[in-house]
Amino acid sequence: MSAIDDAQEEAKADMTPMIDVVFLMIIFFICIDFKVLESKLPAYLPKDKGSQNTVVEPQEQLSVRIYVDNAGTPDYSKGGGSPGVVNPNTGRPYRFALKDHRIKWEVGPKPLYKLEDVKVELTRIARDPASQVKDAKTGGKKLMSCVIEAYPGTYYDDVAKTADACNEAGFAEINFGGGLGPKK
Amino acid sequence: MSEVSKLVQQNVEMDMTPMIDCVFLLMIFFVLVIDLSQKSLEDLILPRAVFQEPDDEPPENRPIINVLQNGSVVYNQKVFYDPDEHGRDFRNPNTAKPIKELLLAIRTQGVNEKKLKLVEEDIGGGKKILLIDDPILIRADKWTEWNYVGEIMKQCSMPDIAFWKVELALSEQDKETGEKNAKLGGQKQ
Repeated sequence: MSAIDDAQEEAKADMTPMIDVVFLMIIFFICIDFKVLESKLPAYLPKDKGSQNTVVEPQEQLSVRIYVDNAGTPDYSKGGGSPGVVNPNTGRPYRFALKDHRIKWEVGPKPLYKLEDVKVELTRIARDPASQVKDAKTGGKKLMSCVIEAYPGTYYDDVAKTADACNEAGFAEINFGGGLGPKK
Repeated sequence: MSEVSKLVQQNVEMDMTPMIDCVFLLMIFFVLVIDLSQKSLEDLILPRAVFQEPDDEPPENRPIINVLQNGSVVYNQKVFYDPDEHGRDFRNPNTAKPIKELLLAIRTQGVNEKKLKLVEEDIGGGKKILLIDDPILIRADKWTEWNYVGEIMKQCSMPDIAFWKVELALSEQDKETGEKNAKLGGQKQ
C-alpha cells in the first residue's frame, strides 16, 4: 500500500505556478495591444504669415481638392453610446464610426472618385517633366509642391489618405489649405 | 527528534512562488497601464497611413494637442475649446480665440521654462520674427472634421505663435477596421 501511495504522490503536479504564468502572459498581451505604434506626418507651415511685404515670384502648385460626395452616417453601435452623450468612464463624448462616407477628388482639373485613381494621376503628374519648377534656393529644378484643399464636411482621415497618396507619388512638399468653413 | 518538533518545522516552511508571481503581475500591470508619458494622449483612433515617418523617439518637450471627434481641443486632459460652447465657424475671429490663447500659453510657458527653442528668422523687408524651432504634435481622430485641424494649423502659423514645425499624428494600424500596414514603420520608397 505504501509503495502505491508514493507513486500517487509523485504523479501530482503543482499547477499553481503554471496558471500564474499563463495569467501573467494574458495580462501582458492584453495591455500591449493598447499601445498601437504611432507615426507622424511632418508639415512645415509658412514662417512669414500675415507679415510679408516683399514681392515673391509665384510658384506653380498642384491643387488637390477634396469634396464630400456622400456625408455618411455616424454609427455609435461599437462604442455603445448615443450622440451628444458623455461616457462617464472617460468624461469624453462617445466615439462613432462614419458609415458610407464618400469623397471625391479634383487633382488639378480632373475629377476622380477612387483613391487608387488619385494615386495613379498623382504619379503621372510627378513623372511629367512639365511638373518640374525652378527651385529658388538651389537655382535648379524640383517637383512642384501640392496643396491639399479640404472642403467643408471632409474629415482628417480623408486628408491623411490624400497626403499619403501625394507622398507615395513622390511629392516632397505638401501644403494644406483651409479656412473653408465647417460642414453645413 | 520528537513528533511535535517535526510538525513545527513543517509548518514554518512557506511557499514564496505565488507571492513573487503576484508581485511580478502587479509590476507589469502598473508599468503598462499607468504609463505617465501617455497622460497627454487622448484615446483616439488615428487614420492609418503608409508613407509616414515613425514616431519612435518623440521629443520630450513636444506639446501635444488632441482634437476629439466633436472638434474639442484637449491639452493635458483639459478641454480648452468646445465647439458647442465657442461656435464652429472660424470665419468669426472670436471662435478661434480659445485655441489661440492655448497656443500662446504653451509658447510662453515653453519659452519661460526654456523647454522650447526660439530662433530668429529674417522674413524680409527688415522684419524679424521669433519662431519656435521645436515641433508641435496635433493628434486628431480619423473622424474629426478637417475644419478643426486646419484651424489649429492656421493658428500655429500666426507670427505671434509661430510653431512652424507641425506634426500630424497618424497610425500604422487602423484600430477601427483592424487594417494594418504590411511593413511596420512604412518608409518612403
